[in-house]
Amino acid sequence: MVDEDKKDKTDHGHVHDHDDMDSTAHALEHIHDHDRQFQPDIEDEPVKRYELMVYAIRELLLEKGYVTQDEIRKARETLDSWQPSRGAQIVARAWVDPGFKQRLLADGNEAMSDFGVDAGGAKLTVLENTDEVQNVVVCTLCSCYPRAVLGLPPDWYRSKAYRARVVVEPREVLKEFGTDIPDEVTVRVHDSLADLRYLVIPKRPKGTDDWSEEELAAIVTRDSMVGVVNPQVS
Amino acid sequence: MSQLFHLGDRVRVIASHPPGHRRTPYYCRGKIGQIERVCGEHRNPEELAYGFDGMPLRRLYRVRFKQSEIWDQYKGQEHDTVDIDIYEHWLRPA
Amino acid sequence: MPPKFTNANEPGRGYHDIGGLDYGAVDPITTEVAPWEKLSIAIGNAMGGQGRKLINTDMGRRAREGMGEELYNELDYFERTTESMKITLIEQGLFTQEELEERMKEIEGRLSEVRGS
Repeated sequence: MVDEDKKDKTDHGHVHDHDDMDSTAHALEHIHDHDRQFQPDIEDEPVKRYELMVYAIRELLLEKGYVTQDEIRKARETLDSWQPSRGAQIVARAWVDPGFKQRLLADGNEAMSDFGVDAGGAKLTVLENTDEVQNVVVCTLCSCYPRAVLGLPPDWYRSKAYRARVVVEPREVLKEFGTDIPDEVTVRVHDSLADLRYLVIPKRPKGTDDWSEEELAAIVTRDSMVGVVNPQVS
Repeated sequence: MSQLFHLGDRVRVIASHPPGHRRTPYYCRGKIGQIERVCGEHRNPEELAYGFDGMPLRRLYRVRFKQSEIWDQYKGQEHDTVDIDIYEHWLRPA
Repeated sequence: MPPKFTNANEPGRGYHDIGGLDYGAVDPITTEVAPWEKLSIAIGNAMGGQGRKLINTDMGRRAREGMGEELYNELDYFERTTESMKITLIEQGLFTQEELEERMKEIEGRLSEVRGS
């Protein structure tokens, strides 16, 4: 049990601003970011080195005054707001509203602000898949990606296999996603290595003419906005 | 404000492999492509990576390459392309 | 599988600069991002362009490219993110390797206590 009188005078010399809690929560309090959603795995395996490193970095930066808990919390919230559902809504709107689509193609940041999207300095560049062109996005050097509208990139996008091969054998890589591109369609790979971040508007599937934006957004997957799959009507 | 190249210009990527942080990938160095888009000017990331201010601003281009000209053994279609974001100082007229 | 298109040992090709090499089939999976992994990204954003601007994305990339081929190939994406953030923060003098290691041991201890192990 934590001595409540000593609660504010830890060995680390910093002050806690939390309420009464038992020793378990007190120990955990040092570790998570105060949002109460997180519990480290209460299992037998030891915490991995890099997980410990993140907690240690966080504590040191806070103690030395290089960042505040509030700033970290806000950064977490921004990160959590970055979801592929945002991108899906934007694509659905582009499908039903030609004027919006033109704005999107001309200036992605400007058009996406309609949805409250703040890309944080990235220049959102929108590409349109057509009957003639299939666009596919990659960052061969790291894993750059339009996080503001797609969330964090998935494992496959970050993988060496994808980064290395999609730029040299895109049609084969797309087949590994179950996507077959006819010979007459141009496959255009985009290696995004600077401040441009690419979002693909996939082709709207046939048979969706009377669908609502919501119904349309539901079939726009994140993978389709990178260009490795095309939305299907089930 | 510099803009050495214009839409449609044929350009060749510098063929060397300088040390340090670079954002022009190995596979396109020495290759010839075409300016597909003239993008904005940015601080040079090769310098920002070391804490320098990255000035002066560098013009960014989207350069379109035919896959068949990048890769000897390209198995796809002749009309397939790869578009790469490349900074002006990495480009020469072709 | 041997490299089909180019040799991984080309002089001048950084180990991160892999466009055109052969790394086998793509596994089209998406796994969930762990809370600590999200925290690593959030801290980086708070210290960088979105916040304090004490570090930047380009420094982080440089650190990824400089951590050594062995580590680069051994670690997964978020581990590399954390490693490169660590390298950058230490380089910029925000804390030392020793302070970090000490704190990591301490946190590990705290966690063991909590689990009663």
